[in-house]
Amino acid sequence: MSASDDQADVERVLAGDISAFEGIVRRWQGPLINLAYRFCHDRGRAEEMAQEAFLRAYRALGQWRKDAVFSTWLFALATNLYRSELRRIPARTVPLDDIAEPADARASDGGLEDRDRDMAVRRAVGALPAKYREALVLFYFHDMDVATAARSLGLPEGTVKARLFRGREILRGKLPQRLAVPRLKEA
Amino acid sequence: MGRLNRHDEDEINRILSREDEILPSSGFAVSVMDAVRREAAAPPPIPFPWKRALPGLVAAGFALALVLVVIGVAITQGASTSSQFSTSLPSASPSFFQENLQYTANWTALALLATWVSVKFSMRLASSGE
Repeated sequence: MSASDDQADVERVLAGDISAFEGIVRRWQGPLINLAYRFCHDRGRAEEMAQEAFLRAYRALGQWRKDAVFSTWLFALATNLYRSELRRIPARTVPLDDIAEPADARASDGGLEDRDRDMAVRRAVGALPAKYREALVLFYFHDMDVATAARSLGLPEGTVKARLFRGREILRGKLPQRLAVPRLKEA
Repeated sequence: MGRLNRHDEDEINRILSREDEILPSSGFAVSVMDAVRREAAAPPPIPFPWKRALPGLVAAGFALALVLVVIGVAITQGASTSSQFSTSLPSASPSFFQENLQYTANWTALALLATWVSVKFSMRLASSGE
């Protein structure tokens, strides 16, 4: 994905060529839908939220100051929209305290156990308080890049680091066995 | 709550980094572009008619100020009159209340009239703007 392609398309759209916006949509539809999906874990809703994000981007295209890369601006706009959408209609999550720990996590089958554990951790992320969940979602979405996650959230890096740390600590506290077991199996 | 050790952190990183990717449905880009074209074709939002509204706003502000002044004067006069009555003419209170009632009724009628005029005026403005 080239930043110059984005800039060229934006300039064409601003000059009145609406069809140039399709280039932006095709380049960024995957990332925007996947980001939305990480927030809501509902495919249909993720596409609806991504569509709304593109519409808002189209309306606000003239406000993009070229001192930031287009993708940074687009992700910040989308993140802002997704956060407020999720505050308006929260995604269906299981409360953290209801995420069951197995009686003996070592007893079950390896592959199935891995999948169960991964799913439990993801569900636990979904049940975190919004500020920790958002930091974790953005951090892992942006390949564990704190700076990019902080720009998308519009927060200082230090705040994001603190929220990541706290979020992971809550996860660790809620899922002690699930996180402790796998390495025993691999050893 | 236990402190996070290196192993736990690696484990969480490993699990959350390999989140499933979903592919956009085939018609997604087309549907976004349809929405964008509809947006572009829609007429721009009607700006608020400040020029038309300004005389009305000024008049309303003036009326409000006038009402506040009159109320202030009435309260001051009422306070002095009632203190006079309470010391010298306690039996005159019914006529005072009657006067006060008429005074209030006049202002209520005026307020209703002003409301009716402003509703009529704004409806006329709205129908002429269509």
